[in-house]
Amino acid sequence: MPQSAEKALDHAPLFCEPEYRQMLAEKKLNFECPHPDQVVSDQREFTQTWEYREKNLGRQALVVNPAKACQPLGAVFAAAGFERTISFVHGSQGCVAYYRSHLSRHFKEPSSVVSSSMTEDAAVFGGLKNMVDGLANTYKLYSPKMIAVSTTCMAEVIGDDLHGFIENAKSEGSVPRDFDVPFAHTPAFVGSHVDGYDSMVKGVLENFWKDAARKEATASINIIPGFDGFCVGNNRELKRLLDLMQVTYMFIQDASDQFDTPSDGKFRMYDGGTSINDVKAALNAEWTLSLQYYNTRKTLDYCRDVGQAATSFHYPLGVEATDEFLMVISEISSREIPEAIRLERGRLIDAMADSQAWLYGKKYAIYGDPDFVYAMARFIMETGGEPTHCLATNGTSAWEDEMKELLASSPFGKNAQVWPGKDLWALRSLLFTEPVDLLIGNSYGKYLERDTGTPLVRLMFPIFDRHHHHRFPLMGYQGGLRLLTAILDKIFDNLDRETMHAGVTDYSYDLTR
Amino acid sequence: MSSLNAKNKDAFHELASEKSGSKGPKARLRNCARPMAPGTAVGGCAFDGAKVALQPITDVAHLIHGPLACEGNSWDNRGAASSGPTLWRTSFTTDLTEIDIVMGHSERKLFKAIREIKDGYAPAAIFVYSTCVTAMIGDDIDVVCKRATDEFALPVVPVNAPGFVGSKNLGNKLAGEALLKHVIGTVEPDEPGLCDINILGEFNLSGEFWQVKPLLDKLGIRVRACIPGDARYLQVASAHRSRAAMTVCSTAFVALARKMQERWDIPFFEGSFYGISGTSEALRRIADLLVKKGADPSLLHRTEILVAEEEEKVWKRLEAYRPRLEGKRVLLNTGGVKSWSVVHALMEIGMEIVGTSVKKSTLEDRERVKQTLKEENLLFESMSPRELFSLLLDRKADIMLSGGRTQYIALKAKLPWLDINQERHHAYAGYEGMVQLARQIDLAIHNPMWPQVREPAPWEPALVV
Repeated sequence: MPQSAEKALDHAPLFCEPEYRQMLAEKKLNFECPHPDQVVSDQREFTQTWEYREKNLGRQALVVNPAKACQPLGAVFAAAGFERTISFVHGSQGCVAYYRSHLSRHFKEPSSVVSSSMTEDAAVFGGLKNMVDGLANTYKLYSPKMIAVSTTCMAEVIGDDLHGFIENAKSEGSVPRDFDVPFAHTPAFVGSHVDGYDSMVKGVLENFWKDAARKEATASINIIPGFDGFCVGNNRELKRLLDLMQVTYMFIQDASDQFDTPSDGKFRMYDGGTSINDVKAALNAEWTLSLQYYNTRKTLDYCRDVGQAATSFHYPLGVEATDEFLMVISEISSREIPEAIRLERGRLIDAMADSQAWLYGKKYAIYGDPDFVYAMARFIMETGGEPTHCLATNGTSAWEDEMKELLASSPFGKNAQVWPGKDLWALRSLLFTEPVDLLIGNSYGKYLERDTGTPLVRLMFPIFDRHHHHRFPLMGYQGGLRLLTAILDKIFDNLDRETMHAGVTDYSYDLTR
Repeated sequence: MSSLNAKNKDAFHELASEKSGSKGPKARLRNCARPMAPGTAVGGCAFDGAKVALQPITDVAHLIHGPLACEGNSWDNRGAASSGPTLWRTSFTTDLTEIDIVMGHSERKLFKAIREIKDGYAPAAIFVYSTCVTAMIGDDIDVVCKRATDEFALPVVPVNAPGFVGSKNLGNKLAGEALLKHVIGTVEPDEPGLCDINILGEFNLSGEFWQVKPLLDKLGIRVRACIPGDARYLQVASAHRSRAAMTVCSTAFVALARKMQERWDIPFFEGSFYGISGTSEALRRIADLLVKKGADPSLLHRTEILVAEEEEKVWKRLEAYRPRLEGKRVLLNTGGVKSWSVVHALMEIGMEIVGTSVKKSTLEDRERVKQTLKEENLLFESMSPRELFSLLLDRKADIMLSGGRTQYIALKAKLPWLDINQERHHAYAGYEGMVQLARQIDLAIHNPMWPQVREPAPWEPALVV
């Protein structure tokens, strides 16, 4: 065995040592009934063909490597954006461990969520007792200001009535009568995490707005960011822009501090978030803007119902989309876009011009949540790139139509294809049969990168295998710069790797690019 | 539902371990089957437990039958290592929607999905996992799997462990039941040997088991099946012809071990590959069981020689770390086998344990840790993040060893932290692993970054501790 105290190898190099290589090879021989190498490589080649693609895309009952998560995850994320609010997921407990891990792994921060831990008994007799005990325990143990209740599949299948249960729990003294317990029904067999986000934000607004009378509209704008893995960078960047414009605004659901607490020796179970008073006051706002349409459809309808004007964007990033966002803000607030922002815009455009030769004509595959894919495709076309494959496992046919309209608006979208409802295994076939230069998505794309050799740029939630990306904005002109840099870095790194072989390819291993 | 209930009870009715076997049936049940208190922060569910216990079987397609949730939020999140197949890391799910559930399409969809996997991937077997929803709407995955097995001439194994039936630990046990009922004993190995063993409850995280296997190789001991770490279906299916077994994570698979002993007369013991004496002890007991079952008695002698050689080597190598680690205070927040075995290992190199969690530990695990620590108030059950945070500060820990979900608690307390759960990136098993563990703790504690993290900003008054 090759290790020594001076040189303790970790698992990456250790198991490359000859003893271990042999051990692993023998295992294959003895226990896998391995196919001959030829058969394996033939099969590998077959999975790269159009014929296999037809079969793969024809799958009906099976989802392989999904690019979506479930409703309660969205609800849990939504709740994290309110002051001292703990998520309470009504249902069986395992789901909650997944949400906590998911958020924790992406943001590199603790994530506290509780469950009503329903078991078989609850499945038979209903989860009322779990709700009563659970709310009491949560209230006592974690002293929250608000408990946001969402559901898992299990509670939904047996049909637990959240509203009734919460009322019952309050009558039994689990929490004080006037304690805020907003709720949302979030079955995982409907929609995805973006819908769960929508339901929970709406639940919170309803909780505070339903019995309140709307006063004369104040010249304030509510902003709902939507489920956003980059909320830490994005929300702060947007606030900076809005402050520069001297607009009166209120972020509704702001998880930027909760998922970015400083290391100062304090433990913050809750940090930042929209305060309850602000949520109450937000009823009187003139406008509510959502940064992501598919994340907030129900919520925006509700805002309109209470008398607010409302509109939404598709994750405003890139030049045009940020222009649009700022112009809408400017128009409804009657504030001018200041010189400082005009300069920022100029700098982004300058940067795009500096790099245009490297970006023009590049082909991309983009996958992720519907609004994100829309926004990325739009930005890619601005840089002269072609969004060849646009895929959202949680995309709907309405999204497909909207994407097609966007793509038709630019010559760079001419050959683009939209894939609603497809998964990452489908994308694998797409990448083999109609290859692209770059892949944009989340960490799960690393297998596609390995299999198909398409370099991956990580710009979508979740990012588990890289650190700190979420701290930088993607939105606004500054975000545009970061996007541009991320894509260019990938292109140049890749080019370097391909051209660095001395005497073979290094005629293109250039110092200046 | 009632038969599942009976099965669950049975899974916990574990007589195999000496300590828990001596308690009354009620106490045994209380140990493992205690439901979680509603409204507290919690760990995984039975489905999670079943999946983590079986997923490292690498040439099998693991198909999750349910809405997207259970798989969409969790696929490919374990660091078990595979020496070949990657199929186990591919996510397969039936992604049931409202329409499937309302219209009762789900069983048909499952059958179709099995067919699509078979056609597209030709796996060694398909494991089908039920989830809360499919269990509640009454999908009979046993029947679907049976039909698929017959029609496709491919083992299709039902794993009945929907999340709501209980804890992650129960799920581990139900996974064992599924293996016992449908897999183990279904294939006869070509050449069973007198020195064949099974290792149960070893997950090969970061390739840990590969650090141990060369030791066994040197002794001529063949691992017929390591379940589940880096296992192949064929290995598991023929595991019943081994001569002896060791359970590493007893919490997960002690019942499986006991039942294999009853059914196929395979004696077993509970051991650990963490720590020096732990590893030596495990090797000795494996050799002992094999000799009792008819292996050449020289094995005992050869084992002693190997142990002596390896121990001498490893102690020498650890000397480099001892002065740097002696007296440093460790808080452990882990569970199961690690609650005592890592404690023991750390004490061997002179570190001081200021607390260890015993969540998910068997009574026997607890007894072991009590004997090792000789102080009961160092044991704690799972606690809330805030309590854990206070404990770290109150007990003046120098480092916390735990899993990924609690890592940021230590970091917020400005304390070094090391991952010893499933996401870790270093292998700590065997003699080699001990050196690696010491090295990683050393690196974590002595990182020059800590003073900077702990000092206030230069314009602030100094912290009063």
